[in-house]
Amino acid sequence: MSTIVIGLSMGMLLFLLAAGLTLIFGMLRVINFAHGSLYMLGAYLAFQMVSVTGSFWAGLVAAPIIAAIIGALMERIALRPVYDRDHVYQLLLTFGFILVLDEAVRIIWGLEYKQMYPPELFAGAIEMFGSSVPSYRLFIIGFGAAVSAALFFMLDRSRYGMIIRAASGDPEMVRTLGINVSLVRTGVFSFGAGLAALGGAVAGPLFPIELGMGFNIIIDSFIVVIIGGLGNIRGAVMAALLIGMTRALGYSYAPSWVDFLTFILLIGTLILRPEGLFSRKGRTA
Amino acid sequence: MSLLEMQNCDVFYGKAQALHDVSISVEEGEIVSLIGRNGAGKSTLLKAIMGLNPIASGKRMYDGRDATRLSTEMLGRSGIAYVPEDRRIFATLNVDENLRIATVMGREGAWNLERVYDLFPRLKERMTSRGDTLSGGEQQMLAVGRGLLTNPELLLLDEPTEGLAPLVVEDLIKAMALINAEGVAILLVEQNLKVPLKLAKRQYLIDNGHIRWSGKTEDLLAEREKIEGLISL
Ligand SMILES: Nc1ncnc2c1ncn2[C@@H]1O[C@H](COP(=O)(O)OP(=O)(O)OP(=O)(O)O)[C@@H](O)[C@H]1O
Ligand SMILES: [Mg+2]
Repeated sequence: MSTIVIGLSMGMLLFLLAAGLTLIFGMLRVINFAHGSLYMLGAYLAFQMVSVTGSFWAGLVAAPIIAAIIGALMERIALRPVYDRDHVYQLLLTFGFILVLDEAVRIIWGLEYKQMYPPELFAGAIEMFGSSVPSYRLFIIGFGAAVSAALFFMLDRSRYGMIIRAASGDPEMVRTLGINVSLVRTGVFSFGAGLAALGGAVAGPLFPIELGMGFNIIIDSFIVVIIGGLGNIRGAVMAALLIGMTRALGYSYAPSWVDFLTFILLIGTLILRPEGLFSRKGRTA
Repeated sequence: MSLLEMQNCDVFYGKAQALHDVSISVEEGEIVSLIGRNGAGKSTLLKAIMGLNPIASGKRMYDGRDATRLSTEMLGRSGIAYVPEDRRIFATLNVDENLRIATVMGREGAWNLERVYDLFPRLKERMTSRGDTLSGGEQQMLAVGRGLLTNPELLLLDEPTEGLAPLVVEDLIKAMALINAEGVAILLVEQNLKVPLKLAKRQYLIDNGHIRWSGKTEDLLAEREKIEGLISL
């Protein structure tokens, strides 16, 4: 039971990151290598808010908002001028973001590990089917599900979602309708940054907060994005849960094979269904 | 004063010049057509009007103002609607969303969802179908409807009847006449004279990036053979 809970909660965390990556890729055609750094930044920001206000919830709200503002600035100041150039420039730029963000975090918070705790409400453990499960993990599952549901509702039903879907497919045509697509791009990048930071804030109480924390999860997130099908956010949910479960099962039964198993999934997908394990043809966003 | 005037425009793709010193105008509320064969530069000109191709030299005047430097979105907001050759329906949006997205920044005016559905009842039946499941005729109606919902003063139509069944073409011709009767000016691009002769009072003939002839439809008819020879239709 606890394996399932760990797997699902890991999957939800991965989805928060993969969703942002997917949306950004769909809209900007940029693979944001700095996504892991934004996740890390989210954890530090949440940690800082908690130490100042004493409230976990304040951190959970503030971290994504601050990261979203930083994301908007990154897009406006740095990415926008290079859209017309070759993709390599954009990739290099997102690499540059990693250096800048990591350095900024090091200067502000130093090198030693920081520790965050679950909110009191979810500090304990719950008995489920004869095993004891940390209730914070259950919170992550519920919270992740709620965020995904809201995200899908936004994408499918709201006017913003409609514009994002249209502009991901044919930005030029959207512009002819009088819609400011470059603003949409900024919005999407900023939103993705916020989601990454939200992931970091949620992960804060699970893992030690440190400079390298974005690295492992970002690799898994890229795997999720590829398995789900590049630019396919529905696929990303399924893939995130699949990878989360694979990792959790792997850790309990064959710990030294975990990375091997995830890479098998990745390579299998690339060989058998390069358009994504969960992709319906032509389905984006 | 014309609604739109393109004055002495040159347009390039890289180093290749696609339009040479092109000047055309569209008056308020009229239907004009631009006729030329494959590769003549018709779509290039429409895109230049819409700000999708940069104008290397020349001017775009709109509503009596210099609009040469306006961006595509500003041109869209000032009342130009673009219905491209390949329709460019948003594939992941359903029919209703493809229409509603045009109202987000669209202008106030006589056209609303209900009126577009009245004009094209077929679209209403397919309201919840995804854009990429539509037939060619449905896509064309949707592209026109989407353009109309920005409440334009000028509708740019790039080969709207291309590849459609004769009955659908008849419907579209009726729709264009109706739209025009409501005061919307139309710049109609076609490869031949068939549809333009039914709708337009003035014609521009383009070949190889040059406007070769322009004038009233009756003058064109009077010298049809000689003029068609000019642009090798
Ligand atoms: N994106 C592009 N890049 C380079 N050259 C282009 C591009 N689009 C068009 N051209 C060239 O510009 C010229 C004019 O093309 P355009 O598409 O305007 O013709 P058209 O009159 O619309 O033809 P059709 O009736 O086939 O649609 C052609 O020689 C074409 O090959
Ligand atoms: Mg063309």
